[in-house]
This record gives sequence, C-alpha cells and structure tokens, in this order.
Amino acid sequence: MTKAKIQADALKDCRGVGCPMNLVYTKVELAKLQAGQILEIHLDDGAPINNVPGSAEKEGHRIIGKKQLPDGAWSVLIEKG
Amino acid sequence: MRDFSEAQLERYSRHILLQDVGVEGQAKLMEARVLIVGAGGLGAPIGLYLAAAGIGKIGIVDGDTVDLSNLQRQVIHFEKDIDTPKVASAREKMLAINPEIEVVTYQKCLRADNIREIIRDYDFVVDGTDNFPTKFLVNDACVMEGIPFSHGGILRFDGQTMTVVPGKSPCYRCTFRQPPPPDAVPTCSQAGVLGAIAGMLGTIQAAEVLKFVTGVGDLLTGTLLTFDAKTMDFKKIKLHKQKNCPVCGEAPTITELYDEEQAVCNLHN
Amino acid sequence: MQISMNGEKRQVAGDSLTIAVLLEMEKVESPEMVSVQVNGDVIDRTLYQETDIGDGDEVDFLYFMGGGSRR
Repeated sequence: MTKAKIQADALKDCRGVGCPMNLVYTKVELAKLQAGQILEIHLDDGAPINNVPGSAEKEGHRIIGKKQLPDGAWSVLIEKG
Repeated sequence: MRDFSEAQLERYSRHILLQDVGVEGQAKLMEARVLIVGAGGLGAPIGLYLAAAGIGKIGIVDGDTVDLSNLQRQVIHFEKDIDTPKVASAREKMLAINPEIEVVTYQKCLRADNIREIIRDYDFVVDGTDNFPTKFLVNDACVMEGIPFSHGGILRFDGQTMTVVPGKSPCYRCTFRQPPPPDAVPTCSQAGVLGAIAGMLGTIQAAEVLKFVTGVGDLLTGTLLTFDAKTMDFKKIKLHKQKNCPVCGEAPTITELYDEEQAVCNLHN
Repeated sequence: MQISMNGEKRQVAGDSLTIAVLLEMEKVESPEMVSVQVNGDVIDRTLYQETDIGDGDEVDFLYFMGGGSRR
C-alpha cells in the first residue's frame, strides 16, 4: 500500500541547532500556522529527535510522520493542535 | 504575529519554552507598559526583572538620590551611583541588561496633581514605596483610572503584597482605610529591614506583573500574601471588597485625589 | 470558645470578647498599625471597644507595612 505524501505547510530546518533552541524555533513556526496545518521540521539525531517531538506533543500538537534523512538527521511532521 | 529577531528568540527562549507563555506571551510582554513607583528596595528587583523580561516600556518614579545606606538592599544601585538620581541609576542598569526596552524616568514625587497623568500611560503600576501617603495615593489614583496595580511593603523581617484589579477585586483602602498616624509608623530608616527580603517581595511583585500581562495563572487579587523571613512562613489571607470602602465602595467619599499631611517624600534629605 | 486568628485555630477563654481586648491579649504594640477583619468585614477602628468576637469567628490582624524605597 502506498502512503499518500503529506504536504507540509511550512518547513523549518533545525539541523545543527541544539536543545532548547530547536524547540523555540519549532514553537515559533507553529505559532504562525492555523490549527490543522502541518509543519515539517528537520532535527539532528540524538537529543533533538529524542526531545522535540515529545515536547510538541505535550503542548497539544500531533506528530503525524517521522523519517530519517540520508544524512542521519530526521524529518518530523507536526500537525498544529 | 510579531517578528522576533534571532537574538530575541534566544534572549527570551526560556519564556517562549513555557507552554503558558510561548511566543504569544512574550509578544505581549514586549508590548506592555509598566510603571514602577519607587526605585528602592522593591523597585530594584522589580526593575531588573521587568527589564530582563523585555517589558516594552517601563516607567520609573523616584525623587531621591542614591545613598550609601541604600546599597545593603537596593541592588540596582552601585557604589559609583552614590549621589546620582535613583531613576537615572536604575535606568542605566535596566538598559545594560536589555537595551531593547524603553525606560522612562520621572525624577519627582508623586502627588495628587501629577499622578493621574503619569499612570495613564501605563497598563500596570507596581508600588514599591516606603510611605503610606504615596501607597494610598497610588491606590486611589489607580482605582479612579481603572489601572491594575501591585501593592508591596516590607519591614524588618516581614513582607506583604496584594494585587488590585479595580472594579473586580478589593483595593488597598478596602482593608487599610487610611494611613496610620505618622508618629506610629516605623519606616525602614527607623526600624531596619533585612536586605534580602526586598528581593523576596520585589520578585513576587515582578512575577505578578508578568502573570498579569501574559494572562497566566491566578493573581494575588483578594489575597494578602504575607511572609516572615525569620520562620519563612508564607500566609495568604483572603480579603473582600468592602461596600463601605471610601474609594471603591458603593458610596465613595473620596472622589478627588488629595495629598496626605505627611510629606510624601523629601527631596532635601 | 474557639476562633480563627489569621487562619490558625485558637482557644480563647470565655464566650465572647471585644476586638480591643483581643488586641491587648495578642500584645499588639501599636494597634494603629493593624487593620482588623472579622468574618471578611473590615471593622472601623472606632468600633473596637464595642465589636464582639464570638465562637467560630474568623479574625485577621492585617498589619500596615510600608518600606521599600526610602533610605
């Protein structure tokens, strides 16, 4: 079964950005969106991917996709809550 | 939404990270206008924390100059500031922390004939004065103008504070009615005060300002928070709007501001 | 009788006493520096001699506190 590609409404590349500034940028980008819109965020492997998605979920947003990029970083799709 | 620079996002990151504050809350702080009455023991931490928080416009009122005996608790003033106006000394430190904000100084004493026009430019007033005539004047003027304010007082090892939202919560006069007779009042200069309690109380008042502006949590309205630093007991006493309050009651007898007999402050001492 | 003083339960001898007596019992040195609230009502200080406190009443002594900016 093929997965329909989800089109993100905004993209923020936080590769090379440590904690907690990557979460700050994520929150800023989410604040610009309407509920239901989707933010794609690129996060480094390790602490960033282990922390940012969970923090976004705690604030009422939904993680709807997560995949590793060729360079080892992660692409995360967050639907604004 | 307000655009934040990279430096602003980093400076205010610990506010933005708070779920209850976030980008929106920080934007509100940067648009807020707050007046601090008194650049002394309470005004010092209040001024420093509000500047650090990025409150967009901060007014500060004080007619005095810095004295050596201030430095034990008024941590916004340094030894090099002795004999300079307190408002100028405070402004310099606040801008040194955060050059992005606007600090307006009023090197004068608040009186019945100047207070209303000054406070009208602000969303919130913080009382950090030592004397009762000014405390009552700030209360009455804020009630008349409908401007919320924080009352604060410290003495020896004790502190007290309450937040007043005119029309909604009891005012200072609801509970305290009128200034005590001057000869019964020990001021800091006669009674002494443990330096650090100025910081304890002033930071509570600063937190109330940040809560008011961002709309987070419950204010100390209808509540007198008191503490005794000797035992570190903190107490909250419920206060109620009084129907017979002379300024915010059903039939107010104080409809115009007036100056109490006791000198509000003395520019010559 | 039992009253509440600034939120703490307190046993007091007798069935009632006036605010003036209570201020004395509590060794309040300058009554001018205290505002007294009984069951949420602030009592006019001219009425301290004639206002009775009874069993179950909640009494708060609220101290005037200045201090802050003067040297």
